[in-house]
Amino acid sequence: MEYLETGQEMSLMDKLGILTDAAKYDVACTSSGVDRKGNGQGIGNCVAAGICHSFSSDGRCISLLKILLTNECIYDCKYCLNRCSNDVPRATFTPEEICTLTMEFYRRNYIEGLFLSSGIIRSPSFTMEMIYRTIWLLRNRYRFNGYVHVKTIPGADWELIRMTGYLADRMSVNLELPTAEGLRTLAPNKHRKNILTPMRQIQNGITQNKNELTLYRSAPRFVGGGQSTQMIIGATPENDYQILNVAESLYQKFSLKRVFYSAFVNVTKDSALPALPGGPPLLREHRLYQADWLLRFYGFRASELLDEKRPYFNVMLDPKEDWAVRHLEQFPVEVNRAPLGQLLRVPGVGVKSAQRIVAARRTTSLTFTDLKKIGVVLKRAIYFLTCNGRMMYPVKLEEDYIVRNLTDEKERIQFGSDGMTYRQMSLFDDGSFSRPLKEVEIYQNAVGSI
Amino acid sequence: MIVYRCEDTLESIFTAVYLAYEEKRDLQDTQLSLTEDPLLFATDVSVVADEEKAKKVIRTLVRRFGEKDYHTVCLALATEDTEKAQAVFRTIVEGLGQRPVGRSRVHLFDNLADDYVHKAFALARYANREVGHLIEFLRFEELENGVLYSRVGPKVNALAFLMPHFADRFSIENFVIYDDQRNLFGIHPAGKAWYLFHGEETDQPQPVWSGEEGLYQELFRHFVKTIAIKERYNWKLQRNMLPLRFQEYMTEFQ
Repeated sequence: MEYLETGQEMSLMDKLGILTDAAKYDVACTSSGVDRKGNGQGIGNCVAAGICHSFSSDGRCISLLKILLTNECIYDCKYCLNRCSNDVPRATFTPEEICTLTMEFYRRNYIEGLFLSSGIIRSPSFTMEMIYRTIWLLRNRYRFNGYVHVKTIPGADWELIRMTGYLADRMSVNLELPTAEGLRTLAPNKHRKNILTPMRQIQNGITQNKNELTLYRSAPRFVGGGQSTQMIIGATPENDYQILNVAESLYQKFSLKRVFYSAFVNVTKDSALPALPGGPPLLREHRLYQADWLLRFYGFRASELLDEKRPYFNVMLDPKEDWAVRHLEQFPVEVNRAPLGQLLRVPGVGVKSAQRIVAARRTTSLTFTDLKKIGVVLKRAIYFLTCNGRMMYPVKLEEDYIVRNLTDEKERIQFGSDGMTYRQMSLFDDGSFSRPLKEVEIYQNAVGSI
Repeated sequence: MIVYRCEDTLESIFTAVYLAYEEKRDLQDTQLSLTEDPLLFATDVSVVADEEKAKKVIRTLVRRFGEKDYHTVCLALATEDTEKAQAVFRTIVEGLGQRPVGRSRVHLFDNLADDYVHKAFALARYANREVGHLIEFLRFEELENGVLYSRVGPKVNALAFLMPHFADRFSIENFVIYDDQRNLFGIHPAGKAWYLFHGEETDQPQPVWSGEEGLYQELFRHFVKTIAIKERYNWKLQRNMLPLRFQEYMTEFQ
């Protein structure tokens, strides 16, 4: 095998530091989607739900050993720490080093597997081959049976990608930016076509492999955990509606398992990039993830949540609450009779609690106390539910009233602080003044007596 | 009222369930208690654990409600709660009283509106979360003879649920997990079946690390420190996801 020349004097500790630092902005780091028992010969198994082994001081989970093979790169993407014009220390792991690190960390239950990405060295195909060799070594020489996530290098030879796919559990190609123009301005060496081609090829590979598996149970599995991608949020001027539409079509047309959103962190300070004085757009990222869940598990469509006229998510309300207050004609929903799909659309009712409601109402007629036991968040749900035809409290089904109560105690400070308000504020427009005035009081106010 | 006084073991509690049915008690007026607290107007029956009877109950549970529900019952019984025997007993009574509709099975934990069922369910959920946390946060240290050693301090008796996971994952390794709250060792010899063993850590010789252990611990600490994004620091979120009581056992926080 041919390895690249690396600085021999650099210690493993330094390399790990450099190549972890270079990989940390990649968010597609989950260990889910594959259930595999140990094989009795090597080390490792996989659990479908995924396992997070630790949490770093930014609160993000550490599930896989997330590293780059090398941070040398021939590309010059403006947002990327490893762009060739950036002056940072460079390092390259040898395949043996990666394998030893993975095995020793895995044995101590530090990690769930390996996440291997890489800067582009020499050419995309050359890089992909290096990755393939590393994973081959890990699977066959070191007999590692745990989770492996590999980045597909756009523009690499399909044969190399295919061979890697038989060794990896999940593969991902980063879409990087939601639209083709964004990509043209910020990543001049990458092309939308080059990114979508391997995505389609892997999708076809997975479908073909599924057909093989139905015929021959022991056929080798190709990317058993499906593929994922990530988009950078806030580096280019796309709105939430565009982003969500892209995500939806990726789920539908490319059958992706996950789309990840990464709030943009300006690390290169390039003039083409927006300055973000308020820090990375974390709330925006959070709202996109919430909407992403609504698309995948709650039966919503992107066009229901946002449209051309309202292209951004509401800052105060989560996407589901926002949808619900705009569709009050569909509420209240009767807990003891409504179909599962309708229950799922109620704010405060999650997938699990909706399923539990359906299971429990076979034997009893549910009340609001029971809903609390089941796990429904009544704080949000009481405006939208009835139990046996009754609401918990007398509630007006009125947009303003509900919005005021939903945003009342929790986000009073945020409400209006940044100029984004749900509606025009007036002096007495406050939760505590929500009681309608009596006729007598209006008169008293008018004449000024108490 | 009849009160069956059991010990805090699976066998003892299942034997009591068996006895309640065998002796044809009024099930609504029967209690299972793990404590010695006297009850007014109650007849006490002390239960002697019987493996045969417990096995019969287990068989019935698996046949009527399936493996998954039986597993949930075991999880509920792994907690430290003193009311757990009564909650599980009434849940089983409730489940056995229901008739299956068509060909579908009755499920033990469907009727969450019932107080006892909800109690048992909540206990099982608590235990399941604790076991899940341990699977995530438990750390092994390599000793000089190549054995992997781990110390945990869980709030429930989790070892019996942890061992199958790690035995499958590290089938070719010798490893030991020590529960310092209950003085229980889970031992897995490479390629063989695992077993539990009562004993105190202090009775054993002080474990000595292997030569490379220190290096890998340091590497991992460096990795955890480097992977955090400065602009996103959020210690509160970290503590929410990874409670402090686990951190004292974990390599990266030492």
